[in-house]
Amino acid sequence: MTQGLRRPADRWRRLLLVPSLTFTTLFFIAPLTLLVALSFGTVDLLSYRTYLGWHPSNYLRALDPLYLQSILRSLAMSLSSTLACLIIGFPVALTLSRLSGKRQRVLLAAVIVPLWTGFVVRTYAVVEMLADHGPLADVLGVLGLAPDGLSLLHTPAAVVIGMVYAYLPLMVLPLFVALERIDPSQLLAASDLGAGPWSRLRRVEIPLAAPGILAGCLLVSIPMLGEYVVPTVLGGGKTLMYGNVIAYQFQEVGDYPLGSALAVMMTTLVTVGLVVGRQVSARAGRTS
Amino acid sequence: MKARRRPRIASVFTGIVLAALYVPIGLVVVNSFNADERLASWGGATLRWWGETMSDSRVLDDLRLSLVVAVATTVLSVTLALADALWWRSASPRARRLLDGVVFARIVLPEIVLALGLFLGAEQFDIPLGTATIVIGQAVFCSAYATVLIQARLSTMGNGLEDAAADLGAPPGRVLRGVTLPVLAPSVLAAALMVLTFSLDDVVVAQFLGGTEAETLPVLLLGKIRLTVSPEVNAIGTALMLVTALPIIGLLVSGKLPVPGRRSQKAERSPR
Repeated sequence: MTQGLRRPADRWRRLLLVPSLTFTTLFFIAPLTLLVALSFGTVDLLSYRTYLGWHPSNYLRALDPLYLQSILRSLAMSLSSTLACLIIGFPVALTLSRLSGKRQRVLLAAVIVPLWTGFVVRTYAVVEMLADHGPLADVLGVLGLAPDGLSLLHTPAAVVIGMVYAYLPLMVLPLFVALERIDPSQLLAASDLGAGPWSRLRRVEIPLAAPGILAGCLLVSIPMLGEYVVPTVLGGGKTLMYGNVIAYQFQEVGDYPLGSALAVMMTTLVTVGLVVGRQVSARAGRTS
Repeated sequence: MKARRRPRIASVFTGIVLAALYVPIGLVVVNSFNADERLASWGGATLRWWGETMSDSRVLDDLRLSLVVAVATTVLSVTLALADALWWRSASPRARRLLDGVVFARIVLPEIVLALGLFLGAEQFDIPLGTATIVIGQAVFCSAYATVLIQARLSTMGNGLEDAAADLGAPPGRVLRGVTLPVLAPSVLAAALMVLTFSLDDVVVAQFLGGTEAETLPVLLLGKIRLTVSPEVNAIGTALMLVTALPIIGLLVSGKLPVPGRRSQKAERSPR
């Protein structure tokens, strides 16, 4: 008798797998398989008929400078937004982790609540802030920094600002959890041994929070790479990111095979990012 | 006692960041009452835009569809997640790892890739796009999040209570109804509220799988903000904000909001 059949209830429990197995196969594995299959197919752009085949040509076309440039730009924008989230989020998480009781709960809630105001609304809020004659332009104008109004909207900078704004709470959470778990006695020990606040930060808190830093970076950079809403709204169609390029192939051009190849490449990139992240975290876990 | 000497700069900086998080959102709310049509400055308070929004049949239809989709996605996702989590418990370690992997993949796959894959599938098999396809698409990733939440609760409950019930002669169905499900209830509720929020917030799946007929409120808003900044858009945005926040307000009222930190981390760690 195996462990799994210890109780009679376990026999019918196997049936529990049926709904989600069916659902996942039909609506997750099948669509992905279709994307992979079609990425090797061809399309007749006159009749919009797609043909399955075994042509690597779509991948060669996807590496055309036109698309490659936008992929690389997306990577650069996701990485810089992630870095900005980390630099802004770390002091916030540090402050939160050093509070206690009700104050900590309230401020933590204050960081989380924006996540529940809706992604599209938050992106729109950034549009309004950055508008040519919006509040930010007014403030900068008064300070004499931007006398001719702001022309930030529909630039890569606007997209980066929008992504940092949207994803910052997601970065703060894992950082907070990691910093909160540090034993206060370790900080005291560092202080007693003569470490100032900065040296304590550099030599105790940052190394001990490394898993949280990595988790936060993965948590924000992966959805950023596939981000569709922020560049659509704040990029104004000019600054296209990877997600928009894929959507464009499907919605406007009708070149499904090329779109599929680009989507498969995006999935591969995300997977590689996750695997590398896991390796790094495993190595960090071994050394610390 | 925590370290008392916290650096001033970090506290001040935190204040600035929190303000920066809330000022834009606040501005959307305030501007939904702004009488100045171009939103160049404050032109006095008006309820005109709210009146127009509330009497706009397209907004109301989209709102209704958003709610219908959210409820349907929640029922579907929680059912799938509950079945998965209960199965996970009695599965072999290898099967568990496989399920964990599939759940993880459903969470990390870029939404745009999922949406376009399903779009292709619908096209290939002549399935009409609409409400049902939106629900299915959202449930793919929503059910994965729900599974993670319910599993976390299951992995901490142990077999003691159920074994006791079985030893006392309760048939399996009775054990499930009388013991397992009541213990899981808080996590099922939390999962349901989370899925509701995710569904109400979703725009990518709804945009690509809604076809020409089914339009949810976030999709309408996305279409409008691509074109213009106007007080009416602000009113729709504020309305959407309130709708999206409903589940979390429910969660706060019921006192079930888990605070990430030392305590809950320990409680949620699986015993593997």
